[in-house]
This record gives sequence, C-alpha cells and structure tokens, in this order.
Amino acid sequence: MMDGFDWTQLLDFALMAMLLAVGIAIVRLRNLFAAVMLMGVYSLLSAAWFVTLDAVDVAFTEAAVGAGISTVLMLGAMLLTAREAEPVKAGRHWAALVVVLATGAALFYAIGDMPAYGDPNSPANAYVGLDYLIRTPQEIAVPNVVTAVLASYRGFDTLGETVVIFAAGLGVMLLLGLGGRKPRRDTEEEDEA
Amino acid sequence: MSPHLVLRVVSKLLIPIIVVFGFYVHFHGDYSPGGGFQAGVIIASAVILYALIFGVEAARNAVPPLVVRIGAALGVLIYGGVGVATLIMGENYLDYDVLHPDQAHHTGQHIGILLVELGVLTTVFSVMLAIFYAFAGRAPDIPEEEW
Amino acid sequence: MTGMEILRLVLDAASIGMMATGMVFVLAGALGVLRLPDFFTRMHAAGVTDTLGAELIIFGLILQSGFTLLSAKLLLVGFILFLTSPTATHAVANAAHRAGQKPLLSRHHPAHPRDRVEQGGE
Repeated sequence: MMDGFDWTQLLDFALMAMLLAVGIAIVRLRNLFAAVMLMGVYSLLSAAWFVTLDAVDVAFTEAAVGAGISTVLMLGAMLLTAREAEPVKAGRHWAALVVVLATGAALFYAIGDMPAYGDPNSPANAYVGLDYLIRTPQEIAVPNVVTAVLASYRGFDTLGETVVIFAAGLGVMLLLGLGGRKPRRDTEEEDEA
Repeated sequence: MSPHLVLRVVSKLLIPIIVVFGFYVHFHGDYSPGGGFQAGVIIASAVILYALIFGVEAARNAVPPLVVRIGAALGVLIYGGVGVATLIMGENYLDYDVLHPDQAHHTGQHIGILLVELGVLTTVFSVMLAIFYAFAGRAPDIPEEEW
Repeated sequence: MTGMEILRLVLDAASIGMMATGMVFVLAGALGVLRLPDFFTRMHAAGVTDTLGAELIIFGLILQSGFTLLSAKLLLVGFILFLTSPTATHAVANAAHRAGQKPLLSRHHPAHPRDRVEQGGE
C-alpha cells in the first residue's frame, strides 16, 4: 500500500480522460443529433467529476441543467435547422486549433501558480470562505453552508442572478414569443393559404 | 397499441416522483445539497418530459403560457418582496433576522432563506419552461417515424 | 455480542457478494457492447445486464448502510433505476426498429416490413 496516495485521484483522471474523448468526438462529428447527445453526456460526466471534487451543489445543477434541460433545448433548436453540419474549410480548422493550443498552453503555464487542491491556505479558503464556515453555525444555524452563503450572506448576488434569469427569459419571450395559441394559428393559416 | 405505450405508462409514474423530488430539493436545501435553482430546474424538467412524451400541446394545457409569464416575474417579486419586508420591519434589505422574533434559533434566517429560494424556484421554473415553449412552439412536432 | 458479530459478518459477506456479482454483470454488459455483432444484441447486452448489475450493487450498499435514512434513499434510487433503465432500453430499441434498423439474422432473412400499415396492426 502506498501511504498518502489519494486513490480517488485516479477516478478524477479517468473522468477527465472521458471528458476529453467526448469533447474531441463532439468536435469531429458532423451529425448534429449525435453532437447534441454527446453534449448531454459531457455534462453528465462533468457532473460526476464535480461529485468526486465534493462540489455536490454544482454537480446537481450541472446534471439538471446541462444534461437535462439544455439537451432538450438544443434538440429543439436542432429541429429548426439541418441535421448535418456544413463541412468547414480546412483553414478554419487550423485557426481554431491554434487558438485552442495557445489558450491551453497559457492555462498549463498558469497551473504552477494555482494552490494545491483543497489547500486550506489558498485565498479561496483562507479569508472570507473560512469566515463563512466559522460564522454560519452561529449566525444562520443552517447545516448546508452553501445555502447560507448563497441565500443569506450573498443574498444580493442571488437576487441579481434571479433577475438575470428573468431577463434572459424575458428576452426569449420578447424575441420568440411563448409559441402560444395565437401566433401558431396564424402560421398554420398561412401554411394552408 | 401505441408504440409509445411503455414510455407513457412509465413517465406517468415518474413525473409525480420528479416533482416531489424537486420540492424535496427545495425544502431540504438547508440541510442537503440543492436549493431553489436546482428545484426549479427539476420541476421544469418534469413538465418538459411530459411535453416530450404527450406533446407540447398537452403540456401547454397543464402549465399554460400565462402561468409561465406571470411566474417568471412573480419569482423576482417574491425575492425582492422579502427584502422590502425586512426594510419595513426595520432592518437592512434582505436581513432576514427580523422576520421572526425567535433569535436564539435563527428562525428568521430559515424563513428568509426558504422564501427567497421559493422566489428563485418560481423564476427558474417559469423561465426554463418559457424558453422550452418558445423553441418547441416553433419546431415542427417530431414525426412519428423519427422516434 | 457474538451473535451480533456473526450477523454483521453475514451481512458484510452478503453485501460484498452482491456488489461483486453486480460488477460482473456490469462488466459483462460493457464487454457485450464492445463485442456483439449488431445494434440490437448490443442494446440487449447494455440494457439487461446494466439494470440487474446496478440493482445488485444498490442492494449491496443497502446491506452496508443498515436500517437508516440512507437505505431508504438508496431504495428509491434503486426503484427509479428499475423503472428508467428498461424504459430507456425499450425506447432506444423501439426507435431503432421504427427507423428501419434491421436485426442481424443469420438463420433466415425475412422481408423487412416496410409498409407501415402492417406494423400499425401489430
């Protein structure tokens, strides 16, 4: 037995490898239906990965939104267009590859400055985060600190997020309509005429 | 016999469970992962599942677009209303402690969090359904052969 | 005291046995998906073994967690899996069949029922 070796790391690596494989498959596929389905698979895999990283709340959201609803929405959007993607010119492939490689190299360069995973002295865990963890049992008395931070300490942020969601919905409703009865009947009559 | 009979029977069994689970996620958000956002998405996905299997028209009858339109605004109103209520009761905006006199157990905080998350739930549920209705209303229904 | 220990041991053995069997089933399903010749046999491998394997693993976990709330939640997960997994398999196989995917038949090759009227009457 190796002491101090975190075996769940292997699970993380396996999940990341699967994410990479699915991502490459999405890029390579021309069939949009398969690409949409693989995006759902990608979301589900990343949800599983978030669970192994102990970010259960995020995993929950990712599984419900990414794998559930956005897949359905993408399918609905796909029904409005073609089933196959147009072939892309080779030159654009290379441009995209250069952008991706440059971004990836920059991210790898930045890894050296990242704190270790779960480091208690990292900025995210040391100052405000630690404060929330200490004060939540006394001030809010809620076991789930994420909820306490989200709804109470950062209530203004969450209000802003709710308004953003509302604005997004409002935009969709204004641009596309709710697809309610009236416009549908109009289009049907147009089709018949 | 309808070719989707199995799907229909099973989804009729599952949709109530999904909705109940969504409410569990909301009301249990203090104790376990989850909260208003996740609960709203889960309940919306139950309605979307209903729409996928029984048709968008049936889902529109179950949750009319008017409800969706009102709900999207109502959620933000609930959230902001809790803040205004705390203002009126003599504290800062969204400072939930005044909502309940029991300061020892922080009941005001619990009530405030639940109410605020209820607002988030309503908005998220309505907006998700609004986007779905907007897209599904435009797309032609999936032909039978392509199931 | 010893009685409790024996019970504990038996429960552990049962749960380990169940989980090991479940893993064998899931592994067999994965192998089947990779090795079997056509769509429907692969679907069969993935669907049938996955349901049983996942259920066995969940029951093993229930034996581990004892008479707690966790067990109730696991039981619910098992119930949902028991409903959804065969349904998903059925839906995919049904869709493939209706889209005209032919099963690989080595013994006899009947004409594919192209006409929808005959199919609707089934």
